[in-house]
Amino acid sequence: MTLPTRTDRGGLEPAPNFGRFSWRVLRQYYRGEFAASTAVNVAYRGSVVIWVVTTVIQPIVLIVVWRTVAGPTGTVGGYTANQFVTYFAIMMLVDHLTFIWLMWEFEWRVREGMFSPLLLRPIHPIHKDIIDNLSYKMVGLLGVVPAMIIMIIGFHGDLSGIDGIQLLAFVPALIGGAVLRFIVEWVLALSAFWLTKVSALNNLYFSVRTFLSGGFAPLSVFPPVVSAIANWSPFPWSQAFVVNVAMGTTRGTDILIGYGAQAGWILIALLVLRLVWSRAVRRYSAVGA
Amino acid sequence: MTDRAGGRGPGAGQREMVVDHSAVPRGPIGHGWMIVATFIRLGVLNIAQYRGEFFVSLANGVITLVTQLLGLAVIFSNTQALGGWSPAGLLALIGVHTFLSGLIGLVIQPSLQQLMEGIRLGTFDFLLTKPADSQLLASVAVVAPAQVVQLLMGAGIVAYACVWMDTVIGPLQWLYFGITLFFGVIIVYSFLTLLGTCSFWFVKLDNILVVFSSVFGQAGRWPISLFPGWMRIVLTVLIPVAFAVTVPAQALAGGLSGWLVLASGVIAAVFFAGSRAFWLYALRHYTGASA
Amino acid sequence: MSAAIQVRNLRKTYVVPERDAGLKAAMTALVRRKTRSVDAVRDISFAIDAGEVVGFLGPNGAGKTTTLKMLSGLLHPTSGDADVLGYTPWRRDRDYLGRMTLIMGQRSQLQWDIPVVDSYRLNKAIFQIGDADFAARLEELTELLELTELLRKPARNLSLGERMKCEFAGSLLHRPQVLFLDEPTIGLDVAMQRRIRSFVAEYNKRTGAVVILTSHYMADVEALCKRVVVIHHGELLFDGPLADLVRTFAPDKTITVELVEGSSVTRADLADLLGGSIARAPVEQTDTGWRVQVPGSDTAAVAARLLSRLPVADVTIEDEPIEAVIEKVFAVPAEGRP
Repeated sequence: MTLPTRTDRGGLEPAPNFGRFSWRVLRQYYRGEFAASTAVNVAYRGSVVIWVVTTVIQPIVLIVVWRTVAGPTGTVGGYTANQFVTYFAIMMLVDHLTFIWLMWEFEWRVREGMFSPLLLRPIHPIHKDIIDNLSYKMVGLLGVVPAMIIMIIGFHGDLSGIDGIQLLAFVPALIGGAVLRFIVEWVLALSAFWLTKVSALNNLYFSVRTFLSGGFAPLSVFPPVVSAIANWSPFPWSQAFVVNVAMGTTRGTDILIGYGAQAGWILIALLVLRLVWSRAVRRYSAVGA
Repeated sequence: MTDRAGGRGPGAGQREMVVDHSAVPRGPIGHGWMIVATFIRLGVLNIAQYRGEFFVSLANGVITLVTQLLGLAVIFSNTQALGGWSPAGLLALIGVHTFLSGLIGLVIQPSLQQLMEGIRLGTFDFLLTKPADSQLLASVAVVAPAQVVQLLMGAGIVAYACVWMDTVIGPLQWLYFGITLFFGVIIVYSFLTLLGTCSFWFVKLDNILVVFSSVFGQAGRWPISLFPGWMRIVLTVLIPVAFAVTVPAQALAGGLSGWLVLASGVIAAVFFAGSRAFWLYALRHYTGASA
Repeated sequence: MSAAIQVRNLRKTYVVPERDAGLKAAMTALVRRKTRSVDAVRDISFAIDAGEVVGFLGPNGAGKTTTLKMLSGLLHPTSGDADVLGYTPWRRDRDYLGRMTLIMGQRSQLQWDIPVVDSYRLNKAIFQIGDADFAARLEELTELLELTELLRKPARNLSLGERMKCEFAGSLLHRPQVLFLDEPTIGLDVAMQRRIRSFVAEYNKRTGAVVILTSHYMADVEALCKRVVVIHHGELLFDGPLADLVRTFAPDKTITVELVEGSSVTRADLADLLGGSIARAPVEQTDTGWRVQVPGSDTAAVAARLLSRLPVADVTIEDEPIEAVIEKVFAVPAEGRP
């Protein structure tokens, strides 16, 4: 019996051509994986609830701390106590929508050899991670958005800077920030191929990121040297920038500069991703998958 | 077989104890202490096995500490005192927090993690077939010796903060510090055990301990005087961070009244009794005893 | 003299929430809980003397593990009582727990990361075993189970079979008088299974301990247990010597004839030859001949006929394999027992 070829009319369908990239195939894949992933998240909703609860804690603590520092009437770095509230509340939302947890997952995947099945699929493993990520965030929004609203109301957040333009500008900034952070941290997660214990590296990364991204405090609170360094790194462009656009603290041409910075960093990150990924796969096979 | 007392053929008296002269009979408390001591000794003896983890623990500890210090530096470049606490006082608080985190990571958390896994996999049954208190066995089951690094760092930070402080700390306050720290440990242990005991009912919630570690890790390193009233209540009664961290640190930073020490003891007793009662209730449910 | 283990009318009923899949069902379940009661163990009674090794047979979900859990004190029964060494197991008297042991196949209680012998030291502390006794018993168990190489390794580095041997040793350091073994040889290779079996037999011989063993492997039961208890649907179907089980449920024997090379016999020939009611007997062709299953009473007659009429090179007459017996027993519906 001869194998079916593409010119065969009757009988079996020709084998799909995995070599060529197809948007239709990718879309089908996304739909299937997304449904599966959402089902998992809904089944484990107890865990998701707990993770969302933990997302709320850090912003509350930071609000409390910074508003004490600012005092009822003063400002710190140009932010009043109530502006701090808005800042951190929105930061919580942005953080939820941009974060990934893959560094720990990768360590597990490498150790257990779970990468092998993923590498055998004719689709780059990053797509599965994107889907899992989006699916979790969707489910989590149900908790995070109300929490944000309650926080702003309960702590008297200052919403004066928000208008229609800011909100419109917020959307592309958010998408850009999410894409940027996803790529950067996915590349970081690849370190699991070289290091057996990534916790120290992850810890270092998160500590640095917390400061430079504006997570601990708005960048204007820091001495100018620090905020200058931060602005030349990719970190604030996925977080502080997005929050400030929403709040109205960053306006006009500054927003456009921000978009540019995001685009630039995304490009660089993609290049690094390509470089590191091919090395990572080689190393994985070399060490014995 | 080389057993001491003779006569072990089939049908030999079932209720008669084999007389073993080399074992010292102990009451339940003595027995309990011996079990704990054995676990500790084993942890110490096997430290060499965990060498790699020590360096990771050290690296993580240093990174975390530096991060916290930087945070403090930023804050105190913008203000003189935070909620009534001086920089040195806040440093002492961070020291207590680090010490407690180390203790939690050393034995409390790993043991509870194993308990929850044991309930899911069925290996928990083994604890019930041993002639020792199941809560005790579950609580000291796993020791992660690398966390000793955190304990030492915490102690070091507290020491440094005390030296740095303007005020002299009197012997009474040192005593209060020790006592409230001890109560703090009991409070934290009891609370975590309460959380872990929930897994008898909710087997899928293996990240329930994360609730505590994130509240403790985030809110616990700040004095509770910063928090609004309702949060203070939550952090005292519901997730008892206040008495575990702020109170002992306050003994060093500002001084405690005897009443607060007493309150700390009462809260510790209540939490401990509560966790014990809940454990026994969970066991009755697990074994199907009519509760 | 009273028996070591006495079980009277033991019963265990679970109340299980019943719920369909789907979102709507999940919502209704919040408001109205539907439950169903499951009889895991229904009115079981038996008595076991000291020194006996008894096998519990039954398919999954039959109730044998539930019964074992009640006898080891892990579960409270819904009704009925049990007496093990004079103690009520589910009261979990410390004295009782110090005289029994539970070993579960594929579940380890050894500490994972520390050397095996250190796990033993933990048991020493828990069971309050004296230094001299501990050393002596450890030496003995090490010799019996060939553990010398394994004692210093952490459990995580051992194979499943090695770990099981170490499990056994650790669980017997306190010289229990009652052993509850729940599928102890599951997942082990044949050589290791034999090892464990002979060890259990030896321990029973030396100490006179009572052993209750549940297993899927008939080889375990055949090798160790003179007496078996068959539990199915929570009920005791059979309690007696293994030989009797075979006889009661499997009066059939299998006759296998190997034909002389070159000759051939068709199924029709065989049917003619066997004739009568025997023609309906199950007949199976093998590579070299035929296999016939006949009631025990007809064995001799059929064998004689086959030998005299067919070109037989070799003949074998066997009991029905025990697995088949068990299947037959379990195929018996809950109400209709012989």
